[in-house]
Amino acid sequence: MLFPTVEYALFFLVVLAIAWSLYRFQTVHKLFLLLASYVFYGLWNWSYLPLLIGISLLSGLVAQRIQKSETRRARKAWLVAGVIVCLSTLGYYKYTSFLMTTMLQVWSRFGTPPHVEVYSPLLPLGVSFFVFHAISLLGDCYRNKVKEPVKIADALLYVAFFPQLIAGPILRASRFLPQLAVRRNPNALRINRAFLLIVGGLFKKVIISNMLATRLVEPVFAVPQSYGAWDTLLAVYGYAAQIYCDFSGYTDIAIGCALLLGYRFPRNFNAPYTAADPQEFWRRWHISLSTWLRDYLYFPLGGSRKGSLRTYLNLMITMLLGGLWHGAAWTFVAWGGLHGSYLVVHRLWSRIGWGPLVRWRGTTAWKWTARILLFHGVCLGWVFFRASTFDLAFDVLGRLRVPGVATLATGPVLLVLFLGLAGQWMPARWRNGFEVEVGRWPALAQGAAVAVAIAAIEMLGPTGVAPFIYFQF
Amino acid sequence: MVKITHSIRQLSLVVAGFVAVSLLLESDGLAHWADRLEPGPMRTVAVPATQAIERTLAPLGVGAVRDGVLKNLARVGWSDDEALLAEVAKEDKGHSLPANPACATTSAAAGGVAGANSASVVGAGPVGAGVGAAGAVGARSAPSGAGNVFAHAPGSNASLANNVPKTLALTPLPPVDLGKPRVVALAGDSMMAVGLSATLMRQAAGDKNLHIVKAFKSGTGLARPEVYNWMDEYPAMLGAEKPDVVIVAIGANDGQGFVVDHKVLAYGTDAWRQVYQDRLASFLAMVSADGARVVWVALPPMRVPVYDEKITAINQIAYTVVSQSPQATWWNPVSLVGDEEGRFREFETEANGQAMRVRSTDGIHLSDEGAGKLTAVLMKWLDPPPPPASQPGPAANTVAALPQSTDQPIVGRKRHPRKTAKGQAVKRGGRPVGKGQPETG
Repeated sequence: MLFPTVEYALFFLVVLAIAWSLYRFQTVHKLFLLLASYVFYGLWNWSYLPLLIGISLLSGLVAQRIQKSETRRARKAWLVAGVIVCLSTLGYYKYTSFLMTTMLQVWSRFGTPPHVEVYSPLLPLGVSFFVFHAISLLGDCYRNKVKEPVKIADALLYVAFFPQLIAGPILRASRFLPQLAVRRNPNALRINRAFLLIVGGLFKKVIISNMLATRLVEPVFAVPQSYGAWDTLLAVYGYAAQIYCDFSGYTDIAIGCALLLGYRFPRNFNAPYTAADPQEFWRRWHISLSTWLRDYLYFPLGGSRKGSLRTYLNLMITMLLGGLWHGAAWTFVAWGGLHGSYLVVHRLWSRIGWGPLVRWRGTTAWKWTARILLFHGVCLGWVFFRASTFDLAFDVLGRLRVPGVATLATGPVLLVLFLGLAGQWMPARWRNGFEVEVGRWPALAQGAAVAVAIAAIEMLGPTGVAPFIYFQF
Repeated sequence: MVKITHSIRQLSLVVAGFVAVSLLLESDGLAHWADRLEPGPMRTVAVPATQAIERTLAPLGVGAVRDGVLKNLARVGWSDDEALLAEVAKEDKGHSLPANPACATTSAAAGGVAGANSASVVGAGPVGAGVGAAGAVGARSAPSGAGNVFAHAPGSNASLANNVPKTLALTPLPPVDLGKPRVVALAGDSMMAVGLSATLMRQAAGDKNLHIVKAFKSGTGLARPEVYNWMDEYPAMLGAEKPDVVIVAIGANDGQGFVVDHKVLAYGTDAWRQVYQDRLASFLAMVSADGARVVWVALPPMRVPVYDEKITAINQIAYTVVSQSPQATWWNPVSLVGDEEGRFREFETEANGQAMRVRSTDGIHLSDEGAGKLTAVLMKWLDPPPPPASQPGPAANTVAALPQSTDQPIVGRKRHPRKTAKGQAVKRGGRPVGKGQPETG
C-alpha cells in the first residue's frame, strides 16, 4: 500500500479513529496497531507476513534471553546468535542473487560455468528495514539501553509498526519501546506539525520526485546516448533532488502519521545538500541509517579509537557495507566506496595544520566552495547509485563531455528541480512559524486547508505514482 | 504563548474538515478510483457509495472547475497526461501546445505487474472513457482453437509456452529510404518499459535509419480500459508520428477480472476471454492502422507457477488474435530467455561460456542483458547491416539473412558493430566494443 493512495488514506483514517478510541486500553490499543500493521504489510503480499512475524518474534525472544542472562558471555552468545539469524535472513533474501551472479561472472572468466537451476528468492518488501529494527532491539538490550523487560507484543509492534515498516526511519528500540510502555496522551498531539509533514511529504514525492523522474531522470538514464552535456548534467542534478524528495517525502509522511497516532519518530533528513563536508552530510542524510551504522558497525569495529589507519579502514568498511545494504549490486558498493573515500579524504584534509590553510578553511568562501564540491561529489555517487550497470554509469558520465542543447529543460522541470534543491535552504523558522500560524485557525478550517493542499498536489502531480525508491531496499 | 499541542477532540474536528472538503473537491476522482478497483468486496461497496457522493455534489460544479484547471495546466506544459493533452490540442485548434518531452515516458520502477490497480492513485487524472471502448461482450465469437486456454492443471510448474509458436521469424522489411528513417513505435506495459525499450533505444541512438517513438506505460494493460485506455492513450502518445513498425509487449497485468455493464467477469471465464480477446483485437487493429507492421512480442515464461499459467493463457489469446492479422507477426522470444523446454530460467550460459542473468530478480521482467538478446535480433531486422561489398543486391539489405523457419534463435550471429553519432562502435546493450572482443549479439 503506497502512502499517496486513496487506499492508504482510507486505511489510515480508519486506523486513526479506532486507535484513539482504544487508547485507554493500552494493551488492546497496541494489539490493534499490530493487527493494522500486519494488514498494511499483508495487503502487499500475505506470503511474507510469516517472515515479518518470525523475525520480530525471534528478536523479541532473544532480547528477553539477553536481558535474563546473568553473565556477559551468555548475553553475548544470545546476541551473536540472534544477529546471525537476522543477517542470514537478510543475506538469503537480498544477496543470494548477487552472489550467484557474481559467482557465475567470475567463473565465466576461467571456463564455462555450470547451469544454475536454483532461483534467487524474491525480495520481501522492507526486509532491510525490519531486519535492522530487529538487530537494534538485540543490540540495545545487550548494551542495557532498554531498561524495562522486553514484552513480546511490544517487540512485534516495534518491528512491524506500519508507518516505518517499509522504508523507515529506522527506530531505535531504546527510544521507541519506552513510548509503548506508557499510555498515549490524548492532549499532547502536534496535529499541525503532523499535517505539515504529511502535506510537505506528498508535495515532495508526488510533484517534485515524480516529475523529475518521468521528465528528466528516466529519459537520460534510459538512453544517455540521446542526450548532450546539459541534459545529462540536469538529469544528474535532477536525480539528486529526486532521491532526496522521494525518500525524505516518504519519511516525512511516516513521521506525520506516527505523530497523529501519538508516537514520535526520529528526524531522518536535515537539509543534506547544505552540508559542507562528508561527515556533516552523513549527519544530515538518512540519519537513522547513518547512526545505526555508526552504533552497530563502526563503533564495534573500533571506530576512531585504534589509530588513524584503522579509523580509515573502519570508515571504508562501514560505507562499503552501507552501500551493499542499499542494493545487491556492485554499483551500490562503488557508491559506498566513493562516500567512504570522501570521509577518509576529509579526515586527512582536516588534519593538515598548516596555518594559512587552517585560516582559509574558516572562511565563508571556503565553506561555499566545500559545499559545491561536496554536492558534486555526492552527485557523482548518485550516478552509480541510479545506474543499473557500470557501463551505463560511465555512459552517463561520458555524455557530460558531449556538447548539446538542453532539450529537457522545460519550465516545469526547472521549477521543480529548483524547489527540490533550494527548498533545503528554507529556514526552519518559516516552517515553525507556519505551524504556529495554522494553529490559530479554527480546527475545521485547518482540515479544509489540508484537503485543498492535497487536492492541489493531486492535480499538479504526474499521472500515476511510482513506488518510493527506497522500497526496493 | 501559542499552543502547539492539541487534544483528540481538535484532531477529530480537523479530520472532519479534511474529509468534508476532500469529498467536495475529489468526488469525481473518488468515483473514478472506485471504478478502477479490481472486482471484489471493496469495489462492490465503493462504487455505489462514491457514485452517490458524486451525484449529490455534481450540481456544485466542482468537477467542471477541476477539469478547467487541469486543461489549463496542460496548456502551460505542466501535464503529462497524453489523452488530456490531445483533448486540449483538439479544443485549441490554431494554438500550438508547448512541447512535452515527458510524453509517453514511463517509470521503470513503477512497473508493478500486480499493481495496475494500486498504481492508479493520487496523481492519476481521469482516464478512459469507461468499459466497452474496445468492444462489447460477445460482439465477436472466439476463433476456433482458442478454447480451453485455462484448462491446464493449476499449480503445474510447466510453462505452456509450447502451446503457442516459438517463432522468431520476421518477414523482411523494405529497405530504408535514404533520408527517411524508419519510424518504430515501442508500445506496451512494463514488459516493454523495463529492459526492452531501454536496450532498443540505446541501440537505435545515433542510428540515422531509425526513429524511435516511445508509446509504453508501466502498470497498464488491455483488460481494463477504465484504468488505462490504450485506445485513447496510444494515439495521444504517437501525436503526429506515423510508425512504420510497432513493437508491442503487453499483457502482463491483464490476468484479472473486470466489470462490463455492471456485471463482474471473473478472470478465466469464457465471457472474460471473449471480452479480453475483443479488446486485444481492437488494440491490434489500432496499432496496425495506416499500414504499420506489428511485431507482437510474446510474454516470456514467468517464475511463479500461478502467474506463469495466467501469462500462458494471455499469450494464447494474443496469438489467436495476432495470427489472424496480415500485418502482425507473432514473435516469441522464449528460445532466447527460456530454458530448452520453454520454461522460466533466471541465468543462462551462452555458447561462448559467458554467464548472464536474463531475468530481473522479480521473476517477471527481462534483465537488461536478457532484453539485449531480444534487441540484437530485432535490430538486425529493423536496420540490417549493409551488405559486404562483394555481395551487392537489394536482398542483402533486408532481413533475408534471418532464418525464415522457426524455433531457432538467431543469437550468436556475427554482426557489424553499428556506429553511434560520434562514430564509436557499440554492441548490444550500448557497451563499447573492445578491441578484439567478439560480437555475440
